[in-house]
Amino acid sequence: MIVAERKSLEEIRRTIAPYERVLIVGCGTCATVCGAGGEREVALLHAGLRAMEARSGEGWHTFLEFTVKRQCDAEFLDALVDRVREVDAVLSLGCGIGVQAIAERFPTLPVLPGVNTSFMGMAKEWGVWDERCAACGDCRLAETAGICPITRCAKGILNGPCAGTKNGKCEANNEMDCAWVLIYQRLEKLHRLEDMRRYYPPRNFRVIPRPRRIVSKAEVAVGGNNG
Amino acid sequence: MQSFAIHNLENHHLARPKRAAEDHSLIPPCQAACPLHMDIREYVSLTAQGRVMEALQVIRSGNPFPSICAHVCAHPCENACRRAQVDKPVAIRALKRFAVEFGGDRMVECEAETTHDERVAVVGSGPAGLACAYYLRKLGYLVTVFEAHSQLGGMLRVGIPKYRLPREVLDTEVERLARMGVEIRTNARVVSLDLLFDMGYKAVFLTVGAHQGLRMGIDGEESPGVIDGATFLREVNLGLKPSLGERVAVVGGGNVAIDAARTAIRLGAREVNILYRRSRAEMPADDVEVEQALEEGVQFKFLVLPKKIRRQDGYLKVNCVRMELGEPDARGRRQPVAVEGSDFEMEFDTLVVAIGQAPQMPGGFGVRVGKGSTIVVDPVTLTTNRVGVFAGGDAVTGPATVVQALAAGRQAAGRIDDYLQHRYPKDAAESRETLVGDLRPETIEMIRRIGRIEPPALPPEARTADFTPIEMVYDWEAAVNEARRCLRCGAGAEILFQDKCASCLTCLRVCPYHVPYVDATGAVRIPADQCQACGVCVAECPARAIVLRRPYDRRQVAGELEHVLRSAAQTKPRPLVVGFCCQYGLFGTGSLSDLWREAGGSIWLVPVLCTANVEAHHILRAFEMGAEGVFIASCGEQCARENTEFWVRQRVEKARRVLSEIGLEPERIEVLVPSDHNGSTAAEQLDAFAQRIGTLYLASILMQEVRS
Amino acid sequence: MAKSSFEEKLDANEFVVTTEVGPPKGCDVSGLVHDIDLLKDKVDAINVTDHQSSVMRFPSIGGCLLVKEQGGEPVLQVTCRDRNRLALQAELLFAHSRDIHNVLCLTGDSVDVGDHKEAKPVFDLDSVQLLRTARLMETGTDTSGNELKGAPQFCLGASVHPGADFIEPQLIKFDKKVEAGAKFFQTQGVFDLASLRRFMQYASQFDVKILAGIIVMASARMARYMNDNVPGITVPQPVIDELATAEKGKGLQKGVEIAARFVKTIKEEKLCHGVHIMAVGNEKIVPDILERAELISVGA
Repeated sequence: MIVAERKSLEEIRRTIAPYERVLIVGCGTCATVCGAGGEREVALLHAGLRAMEARSGEGWHTFLEFTVKRQCDAEFLDALVDRVREVDAVLSLGCGIGVQAIAERFPTLPVLPGVNTSFMGMAKEWGVWDERCAACGDCRLAETAGICPITRCAKGILNGPCAGTKNGKCEANNEMDCAWVLIYQRLEKLHRLEDMRRYYPPRNFRVIPRPRRIVSKAEVAVGGNNG
Repeated sequence: MQSFAIHNLENHHLARPKRAAEDHSLIPPCQAACPLHMDIREYVSLTAQGRVMEALQVIRSGNPFPSICAHVCAHPCENACRRAQVDKPVAIRALKRFAVEFGGDRMVECEAETTHDERVAVVGSGPAGLACAYYLRKLGYLVTVFEAHSQLGGMLRVGIPKYRLPREVLDTEVERLARMGVEIRTNARVVSLDLLFDMGYKAVFLTVGAHQGLRMGIDGEESPGVIDGATFLREVNLGLKPSLGERVAVVGGGNVAIDAARTAIRLGAREVNILYRRSRAEMPADDVEVEQALEEGVQFKFLVLPKKIRRQDGYLKVNCVRMELGEPDARGRRQPVAVEGSDFEMEFDTLVVAIGQAPQMPGGFGVRVGKGSTIVVDPVTLTTNRVGVFAGGDAVTGPATVVQALAAGRQAAGRIDDYLQHRYPKDAAESRETLVGDLRPETIEMIRRIGRIEPPALPPEARTADFTPIEMVYDWEAAVNEARRCLRCGAGAEILFQDKCASCLTCLRVCPYHVPYVDATGAVRIPADQCQACGVCVAECPARAIVLRRPYDRRQVAGELEHVLRSAAQTKPRPLVVGFCCQYGLFGTGSLSDLWREAGGSIWLVPVLCTANVEAHHILRAFEMGAEGVFIASCGEQCARENTEFWVRQRVEKARRVLSEIGLEPERIEVLVPSDHNGSTAAEQLDAFAQRIGTLYLASILMQEVRS
Repeated sequence: MAKSSFEEKLDANEFVVTTEVGPPKGCDVSGLVHDIDLLKDKVDAINVTDHQSSVMRFPSIGGCLLVKEQGGEPVLQVTCRDRNRLALQAELLFAHSRDIHNVLCLTGDSVDVGDHKEAKPVFDLDSVQLLRTARLMETGTDTSGNELKGAPQFCLGASVHPGADFIEPQLIKFDKKVEAGAKFFQTQGVFDLASLRRFMQYASQFDVKILAGIIVMASARMARYMNDNVPGITVPQPVIDELATAEKGKGLQKGVEIAARFVKTIKEEKLCHGVHIMAVGNEKIVPDILERAELISVGA
């Protein structure tokens, strides 16, 4: 799932400054799950902005809120058609994809991001999110015991741990486990340590020229003769 | 296609507010077990909040004579209470007693207006008759109660000893009925129903009780000194003082046997034995009653059966045989079997036979009777074989409980109304589901154990001299604490908006009781029979898809907050401090009640049902509306739930973060606990907090002036 | 092409002594030059660190040129933290062209521990891949298979951590470095000889030279600081305790004493093939250690 984090109110205040009426739009999927932009966070941000306006004594904004099922498909954004007529801008609490999908769906409407899209990950426990995938486009998990060194090693190195690991933790953050220690331990349990002894050549970054696109449909000719 | 999609989504959204207003709670086991179907969960909850007047209102809406039940109800609700699976059932009857006493049930006036011409005769003034008269009168009928004795009450008057039911309580109810306009004819034994119809009554409710004591059918039962339990109790209750001698035996194991034994003790018998042919475990008598009888010196001889009685030298020589328990019968009760050659003899002055009672029907009634001389009725309509004649109570069921009789009386009133108005008689269908099933061991493990508080009672030595009522009323603190033990079965959380649920599993992760789970289809479920209604998942669900099942619980925090903010806005207090306070115990017990007394005019309290329901946006709303400080008074260790303070602090931290982002000091939000690490009380913490807010407020005013 | 003097000594199985100097933050290299002058004749080679602890400094290759200018034998430290494979290969080509052949191939510390925490961590290659890259270039090919006009030659080194608290994955990586072509290893700081002995029992099966890393500590406080802040380093409590016995202002003297004792033991017991002394800012005391360890004669 995509994990995001709300931007500071100060930054949001600056981006909405030119617009009087702002519709805060939540997203019912990833942003809800990661607690950054679901209906609850929309309500909290709404309350925060209103409190800010009231306390500043110079508030002139009007806020509306609405949460769509998913921001990253235009069909779900149809629910916004009537609502955006009443506003000057949309503040999206969806991920970067959601912001762009709204922008594409409403060509003349300013769309502002309310969250920073952080990473792809999962809940470690309530209220704690860990990154798990870097979307590198060249998955090596088969060889690393299902633990991604590209995401979970601070250096993303492929041939084993650096010498900075201490007590099984990473030199960059002593609360994070050293991915390579985890990989070693799991490979040992799987009797697959030879996977770690193998040399991994430099990664092929060519597989991720940006922007990326995946075409899963086949190129077919319609109406022709297949025989 | 697209316009269809819009239509669908919009419609769906519009449909939500209506669904959100519906009551989705399940009927809890206590209510399901109550013959009167009383909303026990509700009045226990109100008691827990100290809202005793409202608790009484709820009680009165489901029970015509709550003060009577408060003393003598056999409380099948407590037997069904699921708290028993954790520790002990909630003391529901004692809580009702608290509510009727502290809520002032004695003072309640019942009004009734005559809206129908038809008159109805109620024959018999036991609980069924009185209840029927009460409800018929409420429905607007003219009602006459016929009673053979000189005073109303039936078994309440002549069966139940005064130490269990003070007669003032009964008299109050009778007077209330009279003031409602119920005509009362005492010393009026009805011998013919035809006569009643001739007098112009359009319907008759027969509720003559079961006053005829059953006999053992053994030799010597006719001897002087042998008396049946019902007669014995009637004589005592009507003011006679039968001479019992020093040694009394009571045969039987039911409540009447216990009543007779304890009455004998109070009449001065030196030695009272209860002879019962089974063992303690099989006794149908109420456990507490048995305990109290033991305390008062009643002795129990189990597995003993009298075989023959001889009167000799002024004494009763009772020949008994020892029993043992054999195979269980069809109902699972082990049948006693005589032990061969175990005969022995005991000697008493008086033998009370309390092995059961049956109705006694005047032949002139012309109603069909069945097994055990009980009147045969249609169980739904309570009609007898005679048109316009209805029957209920012990006369139909054989000896049963007061609450069953009250329920029969209420049912009869409804069915008689149907009859007189020519409606098709039908039991009102309950639209809500009943909660069934036990708590899972995993759930039970997480529920905090809280001991049951018994109401105070006179010490045994102070009881036996006379017929003074022995049970006293809870004090305020005990009642509130006992009421807080309620698990609120069936009023928990549900995923109301399945379409919103993002399957994020937050509910599963935050539930202190490990209740939510993922089913085989991958859907998240919150089983209603396990949920403890703490509301943590409701306040944490990022999609806001979860609500509490009762509409009131859903609105409560926001509703109270808006109310307080509106009121505060009118008085324009400066600086305004808003406090969310746990309402459980707030008015009744604990230190939180101090917050009312010591709070100045600028401190406004929002009562909430558990502070774990307060969300960060509620706190921010207060600041938006001009609050300079907000506190949450958590009930700390007094809380009946787990981890409440943790969740309160989570919400506070969330709100503090936003507060600092908008340029206000995070210390404008505070959590008060009953006693903090310095040992300060909540009231002292509040004083310090209010002072802090005052300083911050002054500083902000100065800053504003400097700027301008 | 002739081997470097350092490589010749390795091949001759001499007990080699290396040390390291850290380039300055800024253009004033006088201190660096001074240190090089002091050390160049007392040791077999001088490492020049590459933004050590991810703190931006004058570059390693620049320091190596200064060593050359002063007549010393440099070891170029190359880390993967700041450069992608293009820049790394370019640097190797340049080093070779300036007669710098000793290269210590390192992954590099994390950007997070340094003074430019917001910088992009590159790590296009890791240390094993860098070693292989260098060996590949010696065959006249770059990492994309293109032909090089003039192939470089190197004496390649790598690091290893004998005292790691979780040694098995480190040994696997050591194997891979050996296989990738590392000829010598300068270990992370060794503080107890037992772990060095255990490591050597394993490493002796390979035809590589192991130089035990010796960190000279100036005080118990510094030891504790390193435990908390320097990646991978754990100074054992007995060593800290010994440092703590020093009189005020005599901490460094005690550190020198300890380091010299280690070096002497390693030499006498032939525990490994040499030592690499890391004085961490106190480079001037390195000769003192060598004298005390009787590796050079007094006043030489």
